[in-house]
Amino acid sequence: MILNLMAAALLWVAAPDTIVELKDVTVTGNARRDYLMKSSQNSVQVNRDYMEQHFGGSLMQTLEGIPGVKAMSIGSGQSKPTIRGLGFNRMAVTEDGIKHEGQQWGNDHGLEIDQFAIDRAEVIKGPAALLYGSDAIGGVLNLYTNHLPTEPFQGSATLFTRTNNESLGASVKVGGLKDHFFYRANATLINYADYRVPTDSIQYYSYYIRLKDKRLRNTAGGEYDGSLMMGYAGYNFHADVRISDSYSRSGFFADAHGLEVRLSEIDYDHARRDVDLPYQWVNHMKVVSHTNWHGELWSLEGSLAWQNNQREEHAEPISHGYMPRPDGTMERRFNKNTLTAQLGMRRTIAEQHELKAGLNAEYQRNERSGWGFIIPDFRTASTGLYAIDRWTISENLIANAGLRYDFSHTNVEKYNDWYLTPVAPGDSVYKQRAGDICRSFNSLTWSAGLNYTTGGWVLKANLGKSFRVPIPKELAADGVNYHIFRYEQGNAGLDPEESYQLDAGICWGNSVLDIQVDPYVNYFPNYIYLSPTPQYVEGLQLYQYTQAKVFRWGVEAETTWHITPHWEAEMKGEYLYARQESGEKKGYTLPFSTPWSADAGGKYKFHWHGDGFVGLNVHLVGDQHEIVPPEKPTDGYWTLNLAAGKQFPLTDTTKLRVSVHADNLLNRRYYDHTSYYRLIDVPEPGFNMALMVGVDF
Amino acid sequence: MKKFLYMSLAMALITGVLACGDDNEPKDMTPPEITDTGITCNPINCQVYHPGEVIPFRYVFEDNVELGNFNLEIHNNFDHHTHSTEGHDHEHEGSECEAHEQEHEEGEGHGEENAWVYNHSFSIPAGMKSYKASVDIPIPEDAAHGDYHFMIRLTDKAGWQQIKSVAIIIEEE
Repeated sequence: MILNLMAAALLWVAAPDTIVELKDVTVTGNARRDYLMKSSQNSVQVNRDYMEQHFGGSLMQTLEGIPGVKAMSIGSGQSKPTIRGLGFNRMAVTEDGIKHEGQQWGNDHGLEIDQFAIDRAEVIKGPAALLYGSDAIGGVLNLYTNHLPTEPFQGSATLFTRTNNESLGASVKVGGLKDHFFYRANATLINYADYRVPTDSIQYYSYYIRLKDKRLRNTAGGEYDGSLMMGYAGYNFHADVRISDSYSRSGFFADAHGLEVRLSEIDYDHARRDVDLPYQWVNHMKVVSHTNWHGELWSLEGSLAWQNNQREEHAEPISHGYMPRPDGTMERRFNKNTLTAQLGMRRTIAEQHELKAGLNAEYQRNERSGWGFIIPDFRTASTGLYAIDRWTISENLIANAGLRYDFSHTNVEKYNDWYLTPVAPGDSVYKQRAGDICRSFNSLTWSAGLNYTTGGWVLKANLGKSFRVPIPKELAADGVNYHIFRYEQGNAGLDPEESYQLDAGICWGNSVLDIQVDPYVNYFPNYIYLSPTPQYVEGLQLYQYTQAKVFRWGVEAETTWHITPHWEAEMKGEYLYARQESGEKKGYTLPFSTPWSADAGGKYKFHWHGDGFVGLNVHLVGDQHEIVPPEKPTDGYWTLNLAAGKQFPLTDTTKLRVSVHADNLLNRRYYDHTSYYRLIDVPEPGFNMALMVGVDF
Repeated sequence: MKKFLYMSLAMALITGVLACGDDNEPKDMTPPEITDTGITCNPINCQVYHPGEVIPFRYVFEDNVELGNFNLEIHNNFDHHTHSTEGHDHEHEGSECEAHEQEHEEGEGHGEENAWVYNHSFSIPAGMKSYKASVDIPIPEDAAHGDYHFMIRLTDKAGWQQIKSVAIIIEEE
């Protein structure tokens, strides 16, 4: 976690009335203000240059410097995004405008997207249901892979490594544009070893597991990604098709998977790059087409997408309870297909009004197999209709308002155990884990906001309602969660989760100083919460899905001081408060509550045969004593981090890029309260260096 | 700049006012405990039993607010996984009972078919802060002999859980 966003701002924050020359783009004048005035919501945009210069080992680690954004580490060096403390199905990830449908509900699933194919990332903080429908409660991570090539042939090649898990990677991108036709292709290979933590042993189930060479055994893995895009880019008409595939295979920390801490026959310590049982593999294939037709005052856009997400989890077969030892290692398999269609239009009326309207439709089918049960087969169909008006009242004042209606239908299929459970002397049954459930959900959401600018100020306010349709796991789960050792029970009567949020953005800047404060207040009348009960089912503690009123508020602040053209200082911080206002856990916070954090950093920029910078940053995180069962309080910590980047022009059209990112320079040992591994007492990685070398041609 | 300070002050005030829920309601932040206060607890690590006998389970449960329920589970440890919590033996992970480590490599009577499975949940009367648990568990005559794990799980009303694992051995007479 470093200076991450420090320079993101910088790229478009360049002092007024200057021109910053980048390779393909020219950012002129009040770019920052223009961006801030674009929406009444708070959002941060990061381009490819920034991502390359601040490469932290993974996309989420690079984005983690944005106040309010966190990478929730899920082991194996993978992480999943959270925005303002909300992750999983409470935020949406999109790629080129299409909602990414992976295994976002699960605790141990990463992004399943090739981060090296991404040209630009945008984080919207706050409710964004109007455009994205269900799930966009905490915010949206928009990823774009569709920048147009500008030359008949161009590309880049990148090599990178990370010391902590000895990860090695290579990525190649090529593309070309000729007579309005263009293509893009890229391929990425990554391989990593077991990851290291600054401890010799971990405590789990209240006894000690020794680690060899401070490595979490069996957390190695690999990733292979590829994509191909072809299209036509005319003056009024644009059409493209992109096929991409992302495959990853990684081990689970062998001492903390399955129902018990097992002492397996497998010699996990003989090699650190191999993947033994238990492991998972995931393949995400996507075919997306975009068509855009536009005139001076209007545009029409249509998108179609098919996503296939397959995932298998393999573990050593063992008997447990009444389940006999199963055949084979396939504990779980999911095959999820998603079809998406979107239609959108934009029309400018009387120069002052920009009207947007659209229709989204999605169909999803998930099929399961394997000897372990966690979610049943299901089908969902959903459709949404929206209209938004953006009214430019004057040059300094813009108002917007929108309305959206969603209808969705979920059909869960019943599931019975494949083995018998005795229910009475001489009588046993194939227990039913999930019943047939048919539910329909309606949601009406809205949003309204204002942007005002005067002098160096930009002020924003936005009030919006967003929602989330309960996922099949929440409706129908009825079984043991083998990752967390608990019995989870769904609730077929859950209502769509709703959220109301008031956001403000206060920005002030001149040529020397930029300040931004983003406070928000958030209320859920019916937050879906997995509540630990005092009951036992099949020997494990019962957790039940319930709905509770939840109140949250928080603030992010950031200030950048451009001391001289070379020197820059930055401070930023975030705070989040959450409290359950009703139900069994009234008075408690929410699980994985983000503690306060602050960053202070300095940066030296120079120009010597190309641009370069060196930055140092202190990351400070507070204690977290606000917990819910079964969490433990987590102490605060601080880390010292370094980042440096340099570009070397080789010829007129080629350049070499080098970036170094060193995290936790002092190799401090600490726990991250929001990490999934916190529950099993695994500390965060120690000193870690990420190095990237690339050539653009 | 002054304007900015006023603005942020106002914002902080607004959020502060909106957030001023009373945070002082007492909430239970302490998990329950499995102890041997005032009694001789049973079973303890490496105790040996025989098929047909009774395991007299005796422990004392305590909580600062109110106890929930408890669960007793016995499963075989024929594959020697470890999770005993007795003794916190750092040197010897899980403090399994050494004498029986090697006894039954594919041995007779150790097939998982005959392995004894016991899993029962018990409720504790409402409102209790301390509870003497006493359960007599008969061992079936045909229980396969070998190493077993005796798991004690205890909740409190708030949903906190405490787990204790004890290694026991079932031997032929």
